Amino acid sequence: MAKYFAKRIGMAIVTIFLVTCLTFLLMNAVPGSPWLSEKTPSEATIAALNAKYGLDKPVIVQLGMYLKNLLRGDFGVSLKMQRNREVLSIILEMFPVSAKVGAIALVWAVLVGVPLGCLAAFKRGKLTDSILRVICTLGISTPSFVVASILLVTLAGGIASLKIFPTIFDASAGWRSYVLPCFALGFYPMCYTARQTRSAMLDSLNQEYIKTARAKGLKNGKIIFKHALRNALIPVITYLGPQVAFTLCGGFVVESVFSIPGLGRYFVQSIQNRDYPVIMGTTIFLASFIILMNVVVDLLYKLADPRINLTKGGE
Amino acid sequence: MAENKENQKLLEVRDLHVSFFTPAGEVKAVGGISYDLNYGEVMGVVGESGSGKSVEAYSIIGLLQSPGKVIGGSITFEGEDVLNFTKEQMTAFRGNRVAMIFQNPMTCLNPVFTIGNQLVEALRAHDKSISKRDAEKRAMEMMELVGINNVEKRMKQYPHEFSGGMRQRVMIAMGLICHPQLLIADEPTTALDVTIQAQILELMKDIQKKTKMGIIFITHNLGVVADICDKVSVMYAGKMVEQGPVDDIFYRPAHPYTKGLLRSMPRVDAESYERLIPIEGTPVDMLNPPEGCPFAPRCEHCMKICLKKMPPYIEVGTNHRSACWLRVQEQLEHKEEKADE
Amino acid sequence: MSKEKKMKRCPVSLQPDVESMLDWNSLTAADFEPATQDEKEDFIPERASVSYWKDAWRRLKQNVVAMVALGVIIFLFLFAFVGPFLIPYGYDQFNSGAENLYPFHYSLEDQIRVEEEIAARTESEVMDVDAMIAKAQEEAAANGEELSAKDIAIIRAQARASSNSAAAEDAETDPAAIRKELGIKAKLFGYSRDELERKAAGEHVFPHIFGTDMYGRDILVRVMYGARVSMAVGIFAALLVLVIGAVYGSISGYFGGKVDAVMQRIVEIIYSVPEMLVVLLIATALKPILTEYVNSGSGPLKSFVNTLGPNLISLFIAFGMLYWVTMSRIIRGQVLQLKQQEYVTAAKALGASGGRIIRRHLLPNCIGQIVVTTCLQIPSAIFLESFLSYLGVGVSAPLPSLGSMATDALSGMYTYTYRLIIPAIVLSVMILAFNLFGDGLRDALDPKLKK
Repeated sequence: MAKYFAKRIGMAIVTIFLVTCLTFLLMNAVPGSPWLSEKTPSEATIAALNAKYGLDKPVIVQLGMYLKNLLRGDFGVSLKMQRNREVLSIILEMFPVSAKVGAIALVWAVLVGVPLGCLAAFKRGKLTDSILRVICTLGISTPSFVVASILLVTLAGGIASLKIFPTIFDASAGWRSYVLPCFALGFYPMCYTARQTRSAMLDSLNQEYIKTARAKGLKNGKIIFKHALRNALIPVITYLGPQVAFTLCGGFVVESVFSIPGLGRYFVQSIQNRDYPVIMGTTIFLASFIILMNVVVDLLYKLADPRINLTKGGE
Repeated sequence: MAENKENQKLLEVRDLHVSFFTPAGEVKAVGGISYDLNYGEVMGVVGESGSGKSVEAYSIIGLLQSPGKVIGGSITFEGEDVLNFTKEQMTAFRGNRVAMIFQNPMTCLNPVFTIGNQLVEALRAHDKSISKRDAEKRAMEMMELVGINNVEKRMKQYPHEFSGGMRQRVMIAMGLICHPQLLIADEPTTALDVTIQAQILELMKDIQKKTKMGIIFITHNLGVVADICDKVSVMYAGKMVEQGPVDDIFYRPAHPYTKGLLRSMPRVDAESYERLIPIEGTPVDMLNPPEGCPFAPRCEHCMKICLKKMPPYIEVGTNHRSACWLRVQEQLEHKEEKADE
Repeated sequence: MSKEKKMKRCPVSLQPDVESMLDWNSLTAADFEPATQDEKEDFIPERASVSYWKDAWRRLKQNVVAMVALGVIIFLFLFAFVGPFLIPYGYDQFNSGAENLYPFHYSLEDQIRVEEEIAARTESEVMDVDAMIAKAQEEAAANGEELSAKDIAIIRAQARASSNSAAAEDAETDPAAIRKELGIKAKLFGYSRDELERKAAGEHVFPHIFGTDMYGRDILVRVMYGARVSMAVGIFAALLVLVIGAVYGSISGYFGGKVDAVMQRIVEIIYSVPEMLVVLLIATALKPILTEYVNSGSGPLKSFVNTLGPNLISLFIAFGMLYWVTMSRIIRGQVLQLKQQEYVTAAKALGASGGRIIRRHLLPNCIGQIVVTTCLQIPSAIFLESFLSYLGVGVSAPLPSLGSMATDALSGMYTYTYRLIIPAIVLSVMILAFNLFGDGLRDALDPKLKK
């Protein structure tokens, strides 16, 4: 297990490194200096940047310097959005907002998705199953901006809407502000989780140990919630990693729609404004976060399955 | 407990019909079988894959899954009509009075729970009053009974830490933990190595002697049957083609299919020049079963009538009966002889 | 039929009452003659052997949801590829005078009636406007200047705006309320005033079925082009993924050993890269790079890049770099599994080359999985394209995309909700149809997976 840990973390570090290099090289290849805005910056800034990033040096050296700075926590400074502000401090300010909305979305998605999946599996072939199937397929077919806008038009603003919830996010306004964004963000993961749970449950229900459990004379509830679900949850855990990534990236859109002052919206704005240091810093930060979350989920998966030997090394 | 009931009926199956309603049509998996099983009796059910042996057993214990359905006949267990049990009755019945063990011990134990957990669960499902400690004690006794050592430690282990033979022992322990009167063993040795097979068989024989419970032993291996069973039913394509005491089946087989099975089985006592003779052909399509005897197309003695009508059961010895037109023909001739006399 | 019981129930004895069951005398000696081989063969009714594809098609046809989804996909295809030929508007054609049309209109007479009604109720205010203009003209003349037509228009507009806002508060002059009062109902499709007049004059005017946007562009045509872009992107991306994934996966699986180990390490790394983020990054970075490349001169490749647009190209590059991983894993798994099968060993023993074995034996056997994965790749590509377009790094303007249309509509989403809803619905329905069809295809092609 320790060996597996080490291997998995090693792979994650390699991946983060590669993503960082890719990000740097891509941004570096952009015509004109990525460090310079279209408006010519002051002489002093140019000089400072040149000194800091060695713009006259070869790309490899620049990359090395950038990596070195990264390790020291220096993500560079914003050039347009909030001039000369440290990218890292922007990230640290905005990420908690995104993380909060994302975490709420993910939690409700799992808490609702798993039982719905169980229900669909249990009622397989019945009307409930068909309805859930259509809803969940619709859910994974509807981009989050569509969900978000429909929610806004029907529940928050617009002519024929109910105007229950605010259209613009305001953290100080309490839970009402969180309802719509979290719903919009969690809808896709919820449907996805429900679908995965359903198929994992069906798979699990078809296993022989379920037959044994039935032959033992266990009650249906115990068979489903103890024997089937426990096994079905193991594969469902593996989908949590990609869900984290999806929720964070979905956040770009949802945060923009609801004007949530989170990292996602800021990232989108930085793309639109071509604020390259912010783009790079945010990309590297989010990518690292997602990759590390994947490692965590992967290890959780290993822990949830007793078949994986915890004492001996290897897979 | 069973001793005083010897020679009394434990299980009575009459004219059982089971069908699977698939999109392609109705598959008649079991087409009218009848038999009795007394207390403490061991019956072997022999037949090739798809002959309906497992389906028949599942219908006794109410494990038939949609699209399978019992569509006719009756199953009576200790005088109670099993087919008319309510859901609750069935749940209380399964595992308590009838237990079942399956072919593949590798997949039949839930991989994410400890052995102890799964054994205790089986006991506590039927005996709510028993304390957890007592249940664990019983579980450990059961594990010792089936020949598992170091039970304290074993209880806390997961199925993947057990070998195949050991898992099958656990399955047997789990089946026996509520002291059922009937154990249905669905090919319990098929998935095991030959040496382990012998151990498990020995164990089952041993336990049967100790507990005096009835066993229905489903297998496709006639050799296994000879060792452990009192009587044998031979199934072919959902029909019971022959049934009788184990010696009769082995020494005086009455149905060509049984004969074929015996000839295709390796024997220690066979003369060196004897060869194994396979049964030619493949089983009939259960989706459109033909009118006549299902074995007819593969039968070397096939007659015209075999293709038209299913033969009736003919008594060919004490408690030994067979469904074959050859036997009918014999009886006819016998009658004519009598008439001639 | 199943209920019929030929044998009598005999609850007591195991031995059926043979005597009564069988009419012994009806049996003739001929019955006991040995049957011929032909008779034996006729005995078993032949079940028509059905080929894999026929069987799959049969199963697919039985799946109502999948067939409806297929119907929707075909309809959307026609909608996207044939539809634009039937509509006399272009996707980037500004129909002046027809800006901001709703997908419904009021007939000319009704419009005039409403206006007269409003005019009647606000006569004094209208007078005021004229008075204001006259006053302004006087002032201008006093300053020795000429009041231009533009200035007059500005004054009028201001006046109208203020009277409108007043009217909004005052229900009496609210057009909607007046229409309700007069019992005027909206009619389907959008027409501008000018178009209605032309139509009244006998000219044939094609309606704006879904209305128009703020530049007067016909939304229906734009949705059609958007759907076309989405579908094309989806299908090309899926094919790209298929080719790369199939080649990579079958090589990795077939050669095994060290090759496989190295190739799988690469796959693992790519697998853990957050795709959306990287796609977004690539799209962001490539846009200026490709734009500069196109502007740097001319050539066949450059004009090709120009037609496709830098964003689409970066989208495809991203797909080609990241999204083939799942496909390659599936194919590798299948290949590994199939490699163990006897017929492959047999083919090897007969001296078939590696390439031949892959082509002739391995690929045909995993074709079902490949088809399903490819089919399910289409909606995910469409999904991603709409995501990128929504964020403004997708399809380049003026070519419409469903995602970018939704973004454009955001600014007026409460007033012109239909502009957001229409592309959103088309997009969702399209992805839904592909997903449902893919699910159905999976069930049909792999009965083992059928749950």
